[in-house]
Formats: sequence, structure tokens, C-alpha cells
Amino acid sequence: MIAKKVLLVGNFGVGKTSLIRRFVLNEFSEDYISTIGVRVSSKILKVDSTEIKLLIWDVAGTSDDEKVPKAYFMGSSAAMYVFDLSRQETYTNLEERLALVKELSSLKEITLVGNKKDLLTGDELEAVLGSLSTHIDLVTSAKEDDNVEDAFLALAKQSLK
Amino acid sequence: MKSAGIEQYYIEISCSNSGQINSIVSGSFIRSEFENESSIFNPCPFLEGTLEGLALNEALLMEGMAIQSDRTEYFTDVELYKSEMETRVLIHNRSNVYQYVKELNQGKNDLFFLKQELDKKNAELERLRQMADKANEEKSRFLAMMSHEVRNPLNVILGYTELLSKEKVSRKLEGYIKNLTVSGRNLKVIVDDILDLSRVEAGKLELSNDPISLSSVLLQIEENYKSSHKDTAVELYFKASESLPKIVLGDDVRIYQIITNLLNNSIKFTPQGSVSTSIDLISSDEKEATVSFKVSDTGRGMTADQAATVFEEYKQNELNDNRIHKGAGLGLAIVKRLVSAMDGEIYVSSKLGIGTTFTIQISFKTVIESSSIETTKEPILPENHIRAARILVADDNYLNRSIVEHILKREEANFLLVKDGVEALDALKAERFDIVLLDINMPNLSGEDLIKQKEAYAKENASTPFIALTGNSSKQDIKGYLEVGFVDVIPKPFSSAQLVGILNTNLSQ
Repeated sequence: MIAKKVLLVGNFGVGKTSLIRRFVLNEFSEDYISTIGVRVSSKILKVDSTEIKLLIWDVAGTSDDEKVPKAYFMGSSAAMYVFDLSRQETYTNLEERLALVKELSSLKEITLVGNKKDLLTGDELEAVLGSLSTHIDLVTSAKEDDNVEDAFLALAKQSLK
Repeated sequence: MKSAGIEQYYIEISCSNSGQINSIVSGSFIRSEFENESSIFNPCPFLEGTLEGLALNEALLMEGMAIQSDRTEYFTDVELYKSEMETRVLIHNRSNVYQYVKELNQGKNDLFFLKQELDKKNAELERLRQMADKANEEKSRFLAMMSHEVRNPLNVILGYTELLSKEKVSRKLEGYIKNLTVSGRNLKVIVDDILDLSRVEAGKLELSNDPISLSSVLLQIEENYKSSHKDTAVELYFKASESLPKIVLGDDVRIYQIITNLLNNSIKFTPQGSVSTSIDLISSDEKEATVSFKVSDTGRGMTADQAATVFEEYKQNELNDNRIHKGAGLGLAIVKRLVSAMDGEIYVSSKLGIGTTFTIQISFKTVIESSSIETTKEPILPENHIRAARILVADDNYLNRSIVEHILKREEANFLLVKDGVEALDALKAERFDIVLLDINMPNLSGEDLIKQKEAYAKENASTPFIALTGNSSKQDIKGYLEVGFVDVIPKPFSSAQLVGILNTNLSQ
């Protein structure tokens, strides 16, 4: 079985830990506990009959002017940039942010996920997505377990490329 | 030489480049987690994948890496060095430092989310406030409009009642007419109150700041009540302190209104006993005098709960379920707002069955007494100029027109009645008038538009004074009418004395 190191990055409070908890443990909590440093979780999944052990790095969220340490990306196969659909400051200048992650990780593609879909009405969601100039891979809700599995599957596929 | 204690804060491990532990080089931090020949990826899952990516002979530092040992989570800084033969892993326990970082970070982020929540709530509050303001403005506008619409029929009711009261009728009818008069006047008070409240709420109340005598205001009130107050079961007392400054700067009309409203309220709720009104000086210096106005009654009094809400508008309806007392419950609300507009304060103290005292404190600017004013206004009855004058009256409302007709007939005036602005224009072109009474809101041609067409009738009536007859009686409205050329304004509803007085005054000039 092959192991793939993948990272989840993005602003603090966008729900990176919640997505991982939902994917790995199928749990969700409304409490917000800020992540420090790096916590690694793993889950085995099948991608097109290939078994992969996904080593998921939950990286502490950043503020606008902070960078994820480059050392964290060492040996990584894929990364997911997560933003909060209900907080505009987490998805402004997405293109620049993705370019920065690509530069730090030397990865060619970054999976882009908008989380907390449950906090928006259909019209609001449409308005947010319409305002973005970047292609979004998936819109998720860790709370309602919506598209979480698919988001990590996309990440795993990305790690195999 | 190494201190024995230091070893528990770090551990240095030699492992193969595929992660198999070769040996513990030094240190004893979570030593039990690292067994020779076992995989370093079990205690350090973050190394899986990372080791493969490491460049040879280059040190790499990874900060804040979480490691579990005996159900305890440690935060560590990890240094890696990969060579051809092995990878050295140096793990430093930095849990204490990261614990502080964690607390600070949690606090910072919590604050961020709290602020965000607060901003959302504030935005929602602002939205609700704007909605409430808009609703309030619309309410005020509606009330002002309705009050204005009510003035026309009210003018007719009061006018005919006054005309009826001059006729010789039976005692029974005299009683009926008296009831009509009282009710009509009460309705006028309510309409005026509603308009006043709307103006205050819309921020359109303008207070004058003229030299006034507070004791004269009280004297005037006393004189008025002497003639109008017929209830012998309630004695009225008035007292102005001798230490009051002779002249202060203020708005005597509004002071009059405040005291009268309080006085009416007290009389209303005092079946028998007395109502005392007094004005006293609290303090004064060269520039300012603080004055207290007090209205006390021996009436039915209020509970503490009732007293707490007594200044809320329409409150009387709730206090007084059987509607035996007249008014819309606006008098005290207006008093409160007028006092606030004068930067004053109002208090109420009351005991059920004993009585109520309203106390107001207002600071007035004082003026040097040499600039004293004529404060006792003796009414000067004008000479009758109406009889000799030719008068044009234009009003589209038949009943209002007929009220004016009756009054002018009684005054033996020579007049012409027309029903709109176009007819008035024709009349002005055809003959000369000594004075013109113009309704403002008329079909075809309004009073305002007519006066602007002066060149059309200038030949005959170049210097004829025009007087506006209108239900729009705010200061702003009156100012506007004077600006377009009216010499005076008669607000509806008007009494015959008012109409005759204004006509005489303008005809004498």
C-alpha cells in the first residue's frame, strides 16, 4: 500500500480540522478549538482499485499575512486549500493565495474547497460562487457531512498524479 | 558535561532512510515510544512521506509537531538530517511554549469571531433602527397629513357652532351647542397635539429664544383659567416666586403649552380638591437661571407603575379604560418632549388617592434688565375696517366658504365668494379688492400659484394684501407663504374673532 502525505491549509476557523474529523472519525463538534502546529491523521481509501494510506496534515490556520512553513510541505503529494463560504476575508484574492501555496509546496495543482455551505442559503451560495474568478473543486459542509468524502477523494486522486 | 535533567527534554534517534529505528543516540524524552528495529512513523506519523522528500545532507526544522505518548499530546520541534546511510531525528519537547501559544492563539481567534458576531449583530441592529426610524417618520407624516385633513371639517364644525351660539335658541339647544363647542375644542386640542408630536418626532420643532417673562406667562395662564375654569369643586392656585429673573431668553408659547398641558392633566384627574401651579428660582448667576415649574394636585394619584409610563404617548388609553377623560393621551408625552428640547428635566411623584406633583427644571439664559421688554400684552381691539372694504374670498370647500360668509355678513362686509383659484384670478382681473382671503389647496389653481401670477392682475390689485387660509400651519409652512407674497396666514380652524382681528389689522395698514 502506498502512503501519500497531503496537507490542508487555509485561514484559521475555516473548518480544516472539522473536515478531517468528519472524514477520519465521522464526528463533528460545534466547538471551535484553534489548531497549533501540525496534527497528522491517516485514513486508508481506495482510488480506482488502488489502496492509499492518506497521511493528512492538519496545519494550523493562518491569518492574511502569515505563510505556512515551507518545511511542512516536504514530501507532500497534494494539498487542499480550504476557505469559509460565509467569511469573505477567507476567499478574497484566492488566486494569489493558491499561487503562494503552489510556490511553497512545489505542487502544480491545489484542491480548492469552500466549506460551511450549511451557513448559506441557496441564493447566497450562488452569489458567493459567482463572485469567484477561480474554479472551486468542491463545496462542502463538515457539519452536515456534505461532499466531505468527495473532497478527500479528489485530494487523494490529486496525490496520485 | 551534560546535566542529567536536560535529557528528558529531547531525544536523538538514528533511523534508516525508510524510517526503521537503528538506535537512540541520546536523550530520554518519551523514550518508551522508540524501540530499536521498529518504525519511527508510529510515534512520529509526520515523518512518513517527509523522510522520502528530504534532500541529502541538508538540515530541516519542523516546528509544532504533535506527538502522542501515554495519552498525552506533546508539541515538539523536530530537526532532521538525511545522509546516504541514515537519517538523524532530533526531537525537542516544546510543549510548555506551545501551550502558551495555543492559549494566546485561541484567545485571539475567539476574539476575532466574537468581534465578527458583534459586527453582524450591530449591522442587524442598525438595519432594524433604520426600519424603525422609517416607520416612525411615516407614522409622523401620516399623522400630520391626517391632522391637516381633519382641520377643514373641524373648522366648519367650530365655525357653525360659534355661529349657532350667537343665535337666540332654547335653553335645551343652548346646552347642546355648549356640548358641541366643548367637544369641538377638545378635538382641536387633540389634532394640535398630534401635529406637535409629529413635529417633535420629525425634529421639526423650532423653539424661539426671545426675551420673556415667566411670571407674565403664569399670570396669563391664570387669567385664562379664571374665565374658562367653571368647576367649583377644584380650586386653582398660581404662584410665581418674586426672586424669578424678570426676563429670560426662551419660548413663551411652548412654556405656556407645557404648563397648560400639565394643568389640564391635573384638573382632569382631580374630581375635587385643588391644583397648584408655581414657578420658583432654584439657582442663578450672571448668565443663567435654573427655574422649577411645579404643578401639584390632590387628585386620584397613580401607582408607581403608572407613574413610570405616564410620559409615553397614548398612555391615557391604557390608564383609563372607560374613556371618561378627554384627550388622546398625548399631552404629557408632548410636555416631556418639549422639556427635553429645552434641555430641561421633568419628574413626577404620585401617591394613589393622595395626588400627583409634576416638577420641571429648565435653565434659561438671563438678559440684562435694561433690555426689558413689554411683557404684559394688553389686547388692542382694532377699529372695524371691514365694513368699508371690498373683500375677495376663495375657498373650494363650500362649508368653509359659508363660515367665512356668515362672519363677513355679520361684520357687514362687502365681499365676493369664489370657489377656486381660476375664478379668483378672473375676479382679480375684473375689479379692485382691498383684501383677498385665499385657501391654499384649491383645484385648478392653488392659492400659492395664484399669488405668483401677479402680473395678470397687477393693474387693478398691485398693492392688495393677500391672506392665506390654510390647515398647513407649521412655522415652515407659514414662512413659505410669507415668502411667496402673502402678508398674513389664518390657520384653520379659526374663530370669528381671529378672522375679524386679522382682517382689521391688515386693512388698517
